[in-house]
Amino acid sequence: MEPAKIVEHAGGVIGASWLMIALPLLGAAILLLGGRRTDRWGHLLGVAMSLASFVVAVVTFFELIGLPGGERRRAVGLFEFIPGLVDMGLLIDPLSISFALLITGVGSLIHIYSIGYMSHDPGRRRFFSYLNLFVAAMLLLVLSHNYVGLYIGWEGVGLASYLLIGFWQYKPSAATAAQKAFIVNRVGDFGLAIGIFTIWTTFGSVTFQGVFESTLKPEQGVLTAIGLLLLLGACGKSAQVPLQSWLLDAMEGPTPVSALIHAATMVTAGVYLVVRSGAVFFPEGSTAALFAAIVGTVTLLAGAIIGMAKDDIKKGLAGSTMSQIGYMMLGAAFGPVGYAFAIGHLITHGFFKANLFLGAGSVMHAMNDEVNMRRYGALRKALPVTFYTFLIGYLAIIGFPLLSGYFTKDGIIETVIHHNEVLGWLAVLGAGLTGFYMSRMVFMTFFGEKRWADDAHPHESPAVMTIPLVLLSIGSIFLGGYLVLGGRFMTFLGPAVGMPEGGVPAFHPFTVPGLATLALVAVGAAIAWLRYGRVPVPVTAPRGSFLTTFARRDLYGDALNESLFMRPGQWLTRIAVFFDNRGVDGLVNGLAAGIGGTSGRLRRVQTGFARSYALSILFGAAVVAGALLLVGNL
Amino acid sequence: MNGIQPPTIEYGQLSPLLLVFGAAIVGVLIEALAPRYLRKSLQMPVTLLGLVGAFALVLTVVMQGVPTKAAAEGAIAVDGPALFIWGVILVLAVISVLLINDDNEFVASAAAVPGTPEEEDAIAAGGAHTEIYPLALFAIGGMMLFASANDLLIMFVALEVMSLPLYLLCGLARRRRLLSQEASVKYFLLGAFSSAFFLYGMALVYGFAGTVSLAGISDALGAVGGQNTLLLIGAGMLGVGLLFKIGAAPFQAWKPDVYQGAPTPITALMASGTLVAAFGAVLRVFWVALGNLDWDWRPVMWGVAILTMVAGAVLAITQTDIKRMLAYSSIAHAGFLLTGVIATGAEAQNALSLKGILFYLVAYGITTVGAFAVVTMVRDAGGEAGHLSRWAGLGKRSPALAGVFAFFLLAFAGIPLTSGFFGKYAVFAAAVAGGAVPLVIVGVVSSAVAAFFYVRVIVLMFFSEPAPDGPTIAVPSVGTAGVVAIAAAATVVLGIYPEPVLRLAEDAASTLFIR
Amino acid sequence: MTTHYLVLSALLFAIGAVGVLVRRNAIVIFMCVELMLNACNLAFVTFARQHGNLDGQLIAFFVMVVAAAEVVVGLAIIVTIFRTRRSASVDDANLLKY
Repeated sequence: MEPAKIVEHAGGVIGASWLMIALPLLGAAILLLGGRRTDRWGHLLGVAMSLASFVVAVVTFFELIGLPGGERRRAVGLFEFIPGLVDMGLLIDPLSISFALLITGVGSLIHIYSIGYMSHDPGRRRFFSYLNLFVAAMLLLVLSHNYVGLYIGWEGVGLASYLLIGFWQYKPSAATAAQKAFIVNRVGDFGLAIGIFTIWTTFGSVTFQGVFESTLKPEQGVLTAIGLLLLLGACGKSAQVPLQSWLLDAMEGPTPVSALIHAATMVTAGVYLVVRSGAVFFPEGSTAALFAAIVGTVTLLAGAIIGMAKDDIKKGLAGSTMSQIGYMMLGAAFGPVGYAFAIGHLITHGFFKANLFLGAGSVMHAMNDEVNMRRYGALRKALPVTFYTFLIGYLAIIGFPLLSGYFTKDGIIETVIHHNEVLGWLAVLGAGLTGFYMSRMVFMTFFGEKRWADDAHPHESPAVMTIPLVLLSIGSIFLGGYLVLGGRFMTFLGPAVGMPEGGVPAFHPFTVPGLATLALVAVGAAIAWLRYGRVPVPVTAPRGSFLTTFARRDLYGDALNESLFMRPGQWLTRIAVFFDNRGVDGLVNGLAAGIGGTSGRLRRVQTGFARSYALSILFGAAVVAGALLLVGNL
Repeated sequence: MNGIQPPTIEYGQLSPLLLVFGAAIVGVLIEALAPRYLRKSLQMPVTLLGLVGAFALVLTVVMQGVPTKAAAEGAIAVDGPALFIWGVILVLAVISVLLINDDNEFVASAAAVPGTPEEEDAIAAGGAHTEIYPLALFAIGGMMLFASANDLLIMFVALEVMSLPLYLLCGLARRRRLLSQEASVKYFLLGAFSSAFFLYGMALVYGFAGTVSLAGISDALGAVGGQNTLLLIGAGMLGVGLLFKIGAAPFQAWKPDVYQGAPTPITALMASGTLVAAFGAVLRVFWVALGNLDWDWRPVMWGVAILTMVAGAVLAITQTDIKRMLAYSSIAHAGFLLTGVIATGAEAQNALSLKGILFYLVAYGITTVGAFAVVTMVRDAGGEAGHLSRWAGLGKRSPALAGVFAFFLLAFAGIPLTSGFFGKYAVFAAAVAGGAVPLVIVGVVSSAVAAFFYVRVIVLMFFSEPAPDGPTIAVPSVGTAGVVAIAAAATVVLGIYPEPVLRLAEDAASTLFIR
Repeated sequence: MTTHYLVLSALLFAIGAVGVLVRRNAIVIFMCVELMLNACNLAFVTFARQHGNLDGQLIAFFVMVVAAAEVVVGLAIIVTIFRTRRSASVDDANLLKY
């Protein structure tokens, strides 16, 4: 079934849904402009704006599901942005509202958590203003009804992410990480920008309505090219191979940032872009979709392998994030069923990954910001709430039956195997690796003997931090089943992304791939127990095999970047510089020098003598009058 | 004899003008009657009330329906564009007056010779010239009248009412008084010189048409056509007087000197208000009175616009003083605006161009006042730190201020998501629609050159090491901080959500000028 | 026979303009500007006679008032700068340039 038509909407809460974006934006503006004056209550305002936005999202959601299924795609025009070219407006449909609920819901919990986490930081107000800015930009990204608005939001979240990664800019590593994220993302953004330009020249429109419901039939080659360009953008933002390297370094930011931006929301923007554009640019079986599937598979394996060897708890989780987004990207390549599972996994992942990150943050908070898991151990007694919530998140992510991750990840694997056996079984293998690295993390952190630093006195975090953890873990338990069983989510998403031919596939608990996945996860967990649970973990990392080193070095991602892009780039630059100096540069420099020289000489005409100015006026008057006479008598 | 008919004066329509002039006269009376210590606390409220009240009156006139007939026996046209320009001038005037209110900028005693004990005494005694408020009010009233004059005589009188107080205000800077006085004398002599041209042009046009009303000139033109030597020379000389005021090349020479020497709040008022008013007058003369002569003046204006854009952009590159650089930037912007003046044609085209120009004036005016407000805050021992080298590393000392200034510069450069972008877009789009494509190409190229020196300042602020004895950032008064905040907010809002103001400009432009 | 008056007015205007360019003393320059304004007045009055309406004569009065106001402002400025610099030469006021 095709997606429903987009209809214009006015009035009601949907008509006022721009408030979702405006409120956090207002919060950010007040906090940034208000300066020190707002220090005392700034964090509360930030939380209030995020919660208010969540309330608007919820009410909008209920108004939307009050409409008949076929009419659930509402375009809300706001204003003329570039007169005659782009109108700004929002598209409220099941897809965008799902994202809005995730962003504002999880976002609000993370805002609340940050009150406690950042309570000792002098820059807390600034932190909340950036968080609000991020929420606003992310909502613009998913709610905009055209590609230009999406792009502005896209750059906005990039900016917020840059500011937040480098939030502790006095740490050189944080500043470098922020720069790296910014630069790597430029590559992706460049692709996206070119893609949008191409869309505009191809379809004559940048609105989703204008593109998806266009009567034009562009050549397949053009569509594939646009798809690949959009995919490049998606790879940058969603940390997919080959643009994955920034995400691990991005963990330099405060942990709530890692949870909100680099796990739950921003990094899923690429998946959103692929699903949103799916019907036209990534249809099932197209070249672009195949590329998306391959990128997803490679990333899900790469991320898992990196996660297996990291001793830094946040970097381990970052590898896991890469891997899970790889699953989503893979699922998004296989039509409406895949979209539903990909977005479903995205939402459940938003919950359990935020849960895991905030749990990790809580552990770090207790351990004086220690991130090395080799210095943890036996924390389950000291941090009971953190432990149990983390455990739930862990079970959810490895796909323990009946928890959230089980339903959505299994759905993706089943769908993929149905279409493409090779990729599907690789995804099963990835699930096994997930079982290993997540179990390793849990064993190293909460079990075994104490390996704490001498001055560590772990204590449970305050309620303002644990309550969000509890709420997130509730979502991690039940959300997946709620969404998947009975095809609830697929039916809900149908009007936005289309329904599979032949209706919603039923959920089968016992299939060959499903059982194989469970078996592999169990094997992975068992190996982890043998290596890290049963025997003591050394405080200093052993040298490890070639494979471990490989994984510890992020699969030599940076070295690869260096040798593949930087070195040849430098060579190319050198060669280019050589020619540049003689040719192009000669021209450009010559031009610049010429303008500068002209300017320097012309300046001297301004002698400072009033009488010579008067002369220029008289001269000008004579020329003007003369020219008029000349023209008039032609 | 059938007696003398008293003229009908539409006081309602003219009330904003009358209120501003009235407030100015009250200000003069305060100077004459109130004791010295009371004057400042009286002048500021009177000035602000006058301006805000006049703005409210403008709104009332708009509410009652934009008049379709010129007021005061056809001498003053209170039409859509005039009301829009009045509103803009009043808004710019209010924020400029907030800047002017800062004591630190004006001389303690203008009569005291700089560097004498007399001057030190005046400073020690806390002397201040509260005359600046009525002077500014007269100038603002003159600006409003200038943009709405419907005959050349009123326009000439308005030109002088606007300029004479400004000549004086330019000479009243508290520090660097030699520069300030020099600016004043240069501006005065050149201004008087150029208004003599305007007047002679007016005489010649009167000789041709037998009337100085804009509509009358247009009618006379329609009857005769454009082959008359008297008329062509007259039109040229009128143009010289007007182009001088907007600072178009080759009549731009006064602008950098005067902008640099004048007290910065006055520079802000001149760079925003005078430019807006002068464009109102330029449009009236060239579109209403000389509209039928457009085949003759258009090629000449092409030359002037190109010369202005190029000269402004190229000369700005090597400037080392921040105020001079902004002056050249203002010259370049005047050139961009002229492309809109040139793009005339059918009524729809005129409305499009007018809309673009009106929006551009709003966007540029507010950003300019904000930029000069920032300039007043960066200070050295001897006053404002004008030299660009003193601005190096400002981003490290005061990131917020440098950030706002960088944002204003980006708006001048016309980067998307700032008001400047939509201003340029609106004017250039209108110019393209009006067939002035080569002009727009020159405009875009000079924008690129101009962007270079804006970016240069940004780089200087953020990527250079600050000088050890760098300028101090004055803690702004509430007024100055407010001006910067208002200007920054307006620049953002007009860059993201320009539609309301664009629509307003469109409505104002749709009726075009009444005759 | 109004042409003669127009020629005279043009001559006066030109003399004034040249005077502005060649004289250094600010007061004299200013007098030359006044001469230009008076040349305009002559032109206005002449044209008024030619057209047979009173507008031109009326304008001449306005111009005189404006010129008087200009004198007030101009002399104030020139006196200030003279007191500071002990010189009324416009060429001495040459700090603002380039």
